Amino acid sequence: MESSDTIISTKGSNAFKKQAFKDQITGLLFTFPALLIILIFGIFPIGYSIYMSLFNWQVTKGPFIGDKNYLLIFGSWTNFLIILAGIALFVLGFYVWRRAFQTLSNGQRWAHIAGALILILGGVIFVTGWGLMYETGNKDFLNSLIVTVYYALGTVPAEIIIGLVLAYILYQDIIGKQAFRIIYFLPYITPSISTAVVFQIIFSSRETSVANRLIGLFGMDPLKWRFEPKPVLNLLGLDVSGLAGGPSLALLTIIIFGIWSFVGYNTVIFLSGLGNIPKEIYEAAEIDGGSKWDRFWHITIPMISPVTFYLSLIGFIGTFKAFNHLYVMRTPSAQNTVITTSLLVFDRFYKANQYGVATAQAIVLFLVILGLTFAQNKLMGERVFYG
Amino acid sequence: MDNSATLPGIKHIKKETPVGKILGKASLYLILLVGAVIFIFPFFWMISSSLMTLGETIIRKFVPAIPQWVNYKEAWTQANFSKYFINSVLVTLGTLTGLLFTSILAGYAFGRIDFKGKNLLFGIFLATMMIPESVTLIPNYLLIRGTIIPLPGGTWINTYWALTVPFMANAFSIFLLRQFFAQIPKELWDAARIDGCDHLRFLIQVVMPISKAPIMTVLLFGFTGSWNAFQWPLLVTTRDTWRPLMVGLYGFVQEAGPNTHWLMAGAVITIIPILIVYFLTQKQFTQGIATTGLKG
Repeated sequence: MESSDTIISTKGSNAFKKQAFKDQITGLLFTFPALLIILIFGIFPIGYSIYMSLFNWQVTKGPFIGDKNYLLIFGSWTNFLIILAGIALFVLGFYVWRRAFQTLSNGQRWAHIAGALILILGGVIFVTGWGLMYETGNKDFLNSLIVTVYYALGTVPAEIIIGLVLAYILYQDIIGKQAFRIIYFLPYITPSISTAVVFQIIFSSRETSVANRLIGLFGMDPLKWRFEPKPVLNLLGLDVSGLAGGPSLALLTIIIFGIWSFVGYNTVIFLSGLGNIPKEIYEAAEIDGGSKWDRFWHITIPMISPVTFYLSLIGFIGTFKAFNHLYVMRTPSAQNTVITTSLLVFDRFYKANQYGVATAQAIVLFLVILGLTFAQNKLMGERVFYG
Repeated sequence: MDNSATLPGIKHIKKETPVGKILGKASLYLILLVGAVIFIFPFFWMISSSLMTLGETIIRKFVPAIPQWVNYKEAWTQANFSKYFINSVLVTLGTLTGLLFTSILAGYAFGRIDFKGKNLLFGIFLATMMIPESVTLIPNYLLIRGTIIPLPGGTWINTYWALTVPFMANAFSIFLLRQFFAQIPKELWDAARIDGCDHLRFLIQVVMPISKAPIMTVLLFGFTGSWNAFQWPLLVTTRDTWRPLMVGLYGFVQEAGPNTHWLMAGAVITIIPILIVYFLTQKQFTQGIATTGLKG
C-alpha cells in the first residue's frame, strides 16, 4: 500500500523501484497464459515443421534426408538460385527506376531506361528459372502457386474496390444505413462451409441452376461452373488452354464466392476509416468548387490509403492461407485448376501421409507469403498517406 | 487554405439542381439495393430450399408450395445434427472462456504495464498472425496425437481438449484489446493506485466495465472463429463423439447426394446461432471496430 506522496516521488526512490518490480512480475504473470498457448501451438510448430521437413517422414519419423524434400520442389538448388537472382534483379531494377540518378539533371530518363533494362533482365531470368524448375521440380506445387496467385489477384482488388464504393455510398446521408451494413457483413461472419454449400447449388452445372438461368437471360448457353477446368478466356473465345491461360471457370466460381464472403468486412473497416477523415477538408474543397468526383479522388482516396493498405495486406495473406471454402467447393473434374498451395499441402499430409514433403511445401509457401508481404510493404507502403 | 471553410452557412455555394440531386441519390440507393440483394440471395435460397420437397429442389422452384418443416426434423435427428450442434456449443463456450481469460490479461499487460521484454513478446505474438496454418497444422496434429510429448490420457484425438485448448489464445484478440486498453487515461490508474488498487483489481473493476465494446468484438470474432472452424476439427475428430457442426455438415454433403432439402436445412441450423450472436452484439461490435484501431 503506498501513500499518496510515494506516487509522486521521483525515480530511484524505493517505492518507485518496488512498483517497477511489481509491474515486472505482474506483466509477466498476465501474459503467461497467452504466452504458453501461443508458444506451444503457434511458435513451437514452426521450428518442428522445419525439423520434420528434413526427414523422410511418413506418419512416423523416417531417416534424415537433409534437403531432399526441398529438392523435390525445386528440382535443384541451381534452379532456386536462378529464381532468387531473378527476383533480386527485379528489386534492383525497381530501385534504380525510382531512386538512382535522381539528383542528376536528365538523370531521370537514364534511370528509367537502366531500371527498365534490369527489370526485363530480372523477368527473363525469373521465367528461365521457373521453366527449369517446372522441368525437374514438383509441377503440382508450382501449379498450385499459380492458382493461388490467380485466386489472390481475382479476389483482393475486387474486394477492395467494391468495399470502398459501398462504404463511400453508405457514408453519405443514407436512410437505412444500419440495415445495409448489417446485411453486407452477414456473409463474412456466417460459416463459409454452410454458405459454400449453397454456392455449390447456385453454381451447379445443371441447366436449371440459378447461375445458368441468370446467364440464360443474356442469351448465354449453360456453363459447367465448378466443374469447368477450361480457362475463362478460352470460354470467351480466346485460344488459350491450361493454367497459363488464366484462371479456370471453376476457380472463377470460387473467386466469386470469395469476393461475396469478404466484401462486407472491407466495407465495415472502410466505413470506420471514412469516419476519421475530418469534415472540414471536404467543406473546404466544396467551397473551392471541387466536384463530388474530385473530392472522392483527391481527398477520400489519399486520406483512406492507410486503410486500403491494411486491407490489401490482410487480404493477400488471407487468400494465401484460405482453405475451408476451397476445400468444399473444389471438384475432381476441375482438376488442378482449383488446387491452391494450402489445399495441396493438406492433401500431401492428410491423404498421402507424406508429412515430410508436406511440411517442406508449407515452409516454402510461408516464405512466399513473407516475400510478397515484404514486396507489398515496399511497393504500396511508400505511397500510403498518413495525414 | 481559407478560413471560411469552418463557417457554417456558406456551404453549398455550388448548388446542384434538385432533379440531378434526386437522380444521384436514387442511383446510390439502387447500387446499395443491388448489393443487398446479392448478399442476401444465397441466404434466401438456403432457407427456401430447406423448406421444399425433394421434387421441388430438383425442378429448382424459387419458393416451396407448402413449407416442409419436417426437413429440419430429419436433419436434426437422421443426420445427427443434434449431436454436432451440442458439440459445437460446448466447444465454442470452452474456447471463448479460455480466449477471454488469456487475451484480457495479456492485452492489459501489453497496453498498461511497463515490464522488460514487453515489446519483444508483443512482436513475437504479432508475427504469429502471418504464419499460415499449413505450417503449424502438421506439428500441431502430432502434438495432439501425443507423438511429440506424452499427453495426459495418451492421445487427444477425439477429445474436447483437442478442439478447445489450441484456440484459447490468439494474437489478434490480444492486439485488439491492447489498442483499447492503452487509450484509457493514465489518471484513472493513478487515482486507483492511491486508493490502494493493484493491477488485477483495476482491470476487473475499472477497465473491464468500460471496455464492453472491444470485449464484445473479441467475443464475436472468437465465436465465429470457433463455430466456423473446419480444417482442424476435420483432422482431430475421427468419430462423432466430439465432431462439431461444420465437419458434420461437410460429411453430410458427401453423403446426402441429391437430398438438397435436408442439406439446406442442415446449413440453416449451422448459421442460426451465429445470426443470433451477431444481432445481439453488432452494436458494440461496430463501436469496437471503430475504437480499437482495427481501421489500420
